[in-house]
Amino acid sequence: MAEPNSVPSDLYKCVYSFLLENKFTKAAQQFLKQTKVIPQDQNEESLVNIYNFWVKSPEARKRKAAPASVNGPSAKKARPSAESSSSEDSSDSEEEKKAPVKAALKAAPAAAAGSSTRKKDSSSSSEESDSEDEQPAKAPAAKVVTAAKAVASAQKKQESSSEDSSSDSEDEPPAKAPAKAAPVNKAAAPVNKAAAPVNKVAAPVNKAAAPAESSSEDSSSEDETPPSKKPKPGPYSAVPPPASIQKAPAAAAASKAKASESSESSDDSSDEEEKKKAAVKPAPVKKTTTKPAATKPAAKKQESSSESSDSSSDEEEAKKPAAKAAPAKAAPAKAAPAKAAPAKAAPAKAAPAKAAPAKAAPAKAAPAKAAPAKAAPAKAEDSEEDSSSDEEEEEVKKPAAKTPPAKPAAATKAAASITPAKKDSSSSSEDSSSEEEQKAVKKPAAKAPSAKTAAAKKDETSSSESSSEDEAPAKPPTKAVTPKAQPAASKSPAKAAETSSDSEDSSDEEDEPPKSKPAAKAAAAAPKPAAPKLAAPAAKPAAAADSSSDSSSEDDEPAKTKQTAPKVATPASKASTPAAKPAAAAESSSDSDSSDEEEEPVKAKPASKPGTPAAKAATPASKSAAKIASKTAAGTSKPSTPAGKPAAESSSDSDSSSEDEEPAKAKLTATKAPTSASKPAAKTAAESSSDSDSSSEDEKPTKAKITATKTSAPASKSAAKTAAKTAAGTSKPATPAGKPAAESSSDSDSSSEDEEPAKAKLTATKAPTPASKSAAKTAAGTSKPATPAGKPAAESSSDSDSSSEDEEPAKAKLTATKAPTPASKSAAKTAAGTSKPATPAGKPAAESSSDSDSSSEDEEPAKAKPTATKTSSPASKPTAKTVAGASKPATPAGKPAASSESSSDSSSEDEEAAKPKAAVTKAATPASKAAASKPATPATPAAKTGKTKSSSESDSSDSEEEASPAKPAATNGKAATPKAAATVAKATGKPAESSSSDSSSEEEAACKTSQVKAAAAAKSKTMAAAKAEESSSSSDSSSEDEAPRKAATAPPTPTANNTNGKRKRDEESSESEEEEEAAVKTPKNKKVTTTPQTFPKANKKSTNVPFRRIVEERVEVDPRLADNSFEAKHGANGDWGQRANEALKFTKGKSFRHEKTKKKRGSYRGGAISTSVNSIKFDSD
Amino acid sequence: MRPGFSPRGDRGGRGGGRGGFRGGFGDRGGRGGRGGGFRSPDGGGFRGRGGGRGTPRGRGGRGGRGGGRGGLGGGKRVLIEPHRHEGVFICRGKEDALVTKNMVMGESVYGEKRMSVEEGEAKIEYRAWNPFRSKLAAAILGGIDKIHIKPGAKVMYLGAASGTTVSHVSDIVGPEGLVYAVEFSHRSGRDLLNVAKKRTNIIPIIEDARHPHKYRMLVGMVDVIFADVAQPDQTRIVALNAHNFLKNGGHFVISIKANCIDSTAAPEAVFASEVKKMSAENMKPQEQLTLEPYERDHAVVVGIYRPPPKQKK
Repeated sequence: MAEPNSVPSDLYKCVYSFLLENKFTKAAQQFLKQTKVIPQDQNEESLVNIYNFWVKSPEARKRKAAPASVNGPSAKKARPSAESSSSEDSSDSEEEKKAPVKAALKAAPAAAAGSSTRKKDSSSSSEESDSEDEQPAKAPAAKVVTAAKAVASAQKKQESSSEDSSSDSEDEPPAKAPAKAAPVNKAAAPVNKAAAPVNKVAAPVNKAAAPAESSSEDSSSEDETPPSKKPKPGPYSAVPPPASIQKAPAAAAASKAKASESSESSDDSSDEEEKKKAAVKPAPVKKTTTKPAATKPAAKKQESSSESSDSSSDEEEAKKPAAKAAPAKAAPAKAAPAKAAPAKAAPAKAAPAKAAPAKAAPAKAAPAKAAPAKAAPAKAEDSEEDSSSDEEEEEVKKPAAKTPPAKPAAATKAAASITPAKKDSSSSSEDSSSEEEQKAVKKPAAKAPSAKTAAAKKDETSSSESSSEDEAPAKPPTKAVTPKAQPAASKSPAKAAETSSDSEDSSDEEDEPPKSKPAAKAAAAAPKPAAPKLAAPAAKPAAAADSSSDSSSEDDEPAKTKQTAPKVATPASKASTPAAKPAAAAESSSDSDSSDEEEEPVKAKPASKPGTPAAKAATPASKSAAKIASKTAAGTSKPSTPAGKPAAESSSDSDSSSEDEEPAKAKLTATKAPTSASKPAAKTAAESSSDSDSSSEDEKPTKAKITATKTSAPASKSAAKTAAKTAAGTSKPATPAGKPAAESSSDSDSSSEDEEPAKAKLTATKAPTPASKSAAKTAAGTSKPATPAGKPAAESSSDSDSSSEDEEPAKAKLTATKAPTPASKSAAKTAAGTSKPATPAGKPAAESSSDSDSSSEDEEPAKAKPTATKTSSPASKPTAKTVAGASKPATPAGKPAASSESSSDSSSEDEEAAKPKAAVTKAATPASKAAASKPATPATPAAKTGKTKSSSESDSSDSEEEASPAKPAATNGKAATPKAAATVAKATGKPAESSSSDSSSEEEAACKTSQVKAAAAAKSKTMAAAKAEESSSSSDSSSEDEAPRKAATAPPTPTANNTNGKRKRDEESSESEEEEEAAVKTPKNKKVTTTPQTFPKANKKSTNVPFRRIVEERVEVDPRLADNSFEAKHGANGDWGQRANEALKFTKGKSFRHEKTKKKRGSYRGGAISTSVNSIKFDSD
Repeated sequence: MRPGFSPRGDRGGRGGGRGGFRGGFGDRGGRGGRGGGFRSPDGGGFRGRGGGRGTPRGRGGRGGRGGGRGGLGGGKRVLIEPHRHEGVFICRGKEDALVTKNMVMGESVYGEKRMSVEEGEAKIEYRAWNPFRSKLAAAILGGIDKIHIKPGAKVMYLGAASGTTVSHVSDIVGPEGLVYAVEFSHRSGRDLLNVAKKRTNIIPIIEDARHPHKYRMLVGMVDVIFADVAQPDQTRIVALNAHNFLKNGGHFVISIKANCIDSTAAPEAVFASEVKKMSAENMKPQEQLTLEPYERDHAVVVGIYRPPPKQKK
């Protein structure tokens, strides 16, 4: 268990942490439950590691080592106390809650984690518990499972994964929608990723460790998460500053920092969780998360992870082309740079990131390292927010956890156990932190988590938080996702070693790459290589770490479901990926990547992505795809992304995940399965799918639905997307970029899947929808991809899909409807979407879409709407359908509200409530708003995760919620992630970017909006369209900045921007639809009316012609006879009648008659009578 | 005066029968009270009295200004000169007037002035012919080239109305000629009958000119058909009667009232259209003349029916 858990835990942890931080307690819990172990590890890694890596792997490492350790404890402690605000509280609450149900498990895990990591464990556990509480059913199950360890761990992981996935999915949606928020989220994501790595590591560890560990990991992750959460929030709000600040707060600060990291980690964990949950979902989630994370890092740069994610996405794209590893690295590097620069010193980060990567590589060797690296970098470069948070977390946790995890990961399974320990600890710490944070956040209210997340979250939040939140609300999924993502990110770094983490990381890394990338690539490069390799190897090296994690996850999964484990592992994604991927090895690293890869690359297949990927994967995938693809690419993805494979794989992964989920549940699975089927076809796909599925299943089982939904959603999305992609499969490949498309699709699918899972049927519906969507999407996707450039299109489509999916999930039917709509819309929209995306300029479009999503998220953050919006926005289509931007949000909200929205809303509210804390934690406010916006997403996600379909929505809501609190980050992260995920690639690219932007924004908001954003933007944008994204990111960042103060402003703005973007898209889509409709209608009407009328009239008219016996026109008048007047007559002058003529000439009527009568009387005197002939002769003679 | 021609205004009656168009004919009946329309300015030239018909009285009868009988006290100096149309005379005096030789001495049909001229021992009475009341007179005054109505000719007069113009035609054709006066309105027909009572060369036919077969037994071949049937299908009506009663090479004189055929079309167009129709009925139009200023929007078309191959002039 530990190992498996550890693996998942790493990611999960991160995710959880993120989630927790984000306040996606529920999601976190769910994640935790599902991925239990993983979350912690992941959290640590993902958040901390990723961030750290991203930020500055080397520095991050250092920082992580030191801070982490320091922070870790402090963080943990702080969390309980300080961070706790959200995390602790949540954790406490969670713990309490869980205690009853899972308490034991969690407690145990927590204890373990706590012991292992710090309080994080406890916190994490608490968080987890919280999350569990939130997701009690799932979490408990998961936890119980954890208790069962293997199973439990698996479940937890799965859950966590599921959560992660959910979170991821949520994140993705959020991420995308959040895209704007994304920045923050991304930032968070980075953190998350960093955490994720940790988490992953942890997860791996947990996994390796086994259920118990996993649980412990989860707990640890949770514990970590808590701290991380706060940290994240901090990071988000002001990534660097907050982190530092948060850290400063002493334990609290540290915790926060950690929290941030943890949050990140949580995010990662969440991502992971999500990933784990549903391989697909997880993947998406992770991806999303990862993406978000990446995006965030990018956006935040500080968080590097997010940026990295973004950058990764961007990078991924960029990287993709390039060798995967290279790309990945490059991407990471870029991302890192971007993020790093942005965040603190983008360059710095980049450098650090790279350094980190280098470290990461080492880190990968040991995720922990990555984390540390990140931490170090983060600290060094970023500042600290990420780094600090990351570092702290990482250091605190990661150092221990990550390195360990990473190593363990490296150790792989065997290591897993070890890793678990470390990772667990780290991851656990991360996870715990994340979880705690998440939980805390979540607990506060599912949303609270978001709030927390928001704080820490911003980064995580966005990604992790959102994911976490989502997860929390929806459940862990979101968070999990985020966490995962983060974890992934973190993992990526750490994971670099770890595939999953790598994958995620890779994805994250890719994202992170910017930051983490360094790690991821640099390190990552190593990691990836390692990771991928590892993964490929099968968990081999990377595997080792990642694979280990993955493997662990896988193992876990295997133990249980595969995917779950995998996801959990990834989490899941990672694990899975690793597992499957290991094959993908590189990919595996890509698990996360794979998820990403799967989606995008093929590698992704590993499902790792699928799982996480699903969400993250999706995002990540997408990103990764884009970027990762690049990264993974680097690792796997690259390969895949490259193309078709990735796509296929990714799809497969997603599918697989979906399948897994379905199996787990059936429907989801079914849905997913189908998707997965398609995907499975992919290969890993199967595995990944399995992973994802397992994760999803786990999630579902527990509650899983959400997760499942998420997973499923992801899966579905991914599937759908994949499907679409696949279908499109082609589309992806075709497109673009296939990757983006794939990713996007995957993301969307994942999301959809998640949603679906949420509702079994939903999935089904979704599945259909997805399918339809996918079809549509595919079409759309394809179209999009095509249009945009493939990517944007893909992204957009993916986004839309995801969103749609999310929405759908939110309501199964809704989704379905949405899905359909999406599909239809997508079709139309696609057109629209595509058009949008296209319009934007592929990327811009994508970004715009993402922005829109993010905006929607932002809006959502508001809450219901936010969710709705988010969902909608994510769904873009939905929104589009429902309304345009606003309408969308509304609608979505409405839907979500209906189903999960309400939950999401509530969650968001909770989050908001939490926010206060979050605010405290992070400036939650800033974050909060950002969070809010994001949170909304998260919230939604959460809500969704919650189950309702809303998985996405809930996610979004969750994310939002988280966002609000910490969530901003989370949300952003999530949103970002999700988006990112969705966008993931580029297509997603945009979303991813957006997410990244969001994350960045969040991050920035947190600390450096600008930088982060810039970074994020840079990353995201770079990755995607670079610019578009940037713009979005910028907007996000701006919004974030504003938000920081209060997310409100920022969020609004962002939202506005995002919204606008979304709205635009939506509008466009809607418009396009409308137009189409109108066109259709009008024509008909016109035609109909016209003809009929005309004829009658014509007839009538003709008839109405006055009767004439003589038609002047037809009569030829002799010129001589032309004038019948007297004057014209010959001899008129002097004629006898001349006088009479003068008298009568001008008279008419009565007077004429009168005059004539007088003449008749004989009084007339005419003079002489002439006998001349005056007549006119007619010839003849 | 013949009993048949009791002077009474038929206007109303006739008009009623056929619609307004025939209203115009009514005027012809108004002879009575009017007394001599043509009262010559010269002393006693024309006397309206004594039922003075407008028939110009030869001056000779009075010689100078004979006696105060007649309004024109001092004898009338009226010069009667024949018109280029046989049977028509122009009374030249202070004011020229168109006159016909009164077939029935001492009788005024519609109150027109009569002028009696004494040539030698015979008194010749002329009746003034007012162009405002007769289209044929208007056509003559207007300068129509041929009316083909001359002493001894057999004329079918369609739309005889009260018989005012018919009386003049009767004067023109003289005792050797015949006038088949066809009128469909009984009211107008009464006046017509009264006129016909005093003029033996008038055969009144109260029938619808559209149905020649109804009075085919009463009508032999005619030399000229004069039509003043203001009906839309007047050309067809004329053609029908021409086919039945007009000899080959006979002539027709048609008065066309544009408004009765198509009030919306330009009179010229209507005329042209009618001319064209005539041509389609073996009725070759030869000349056309406007009736301005005596009638508004009226024209007279004179033509030949089945002109003999070159026989005609």
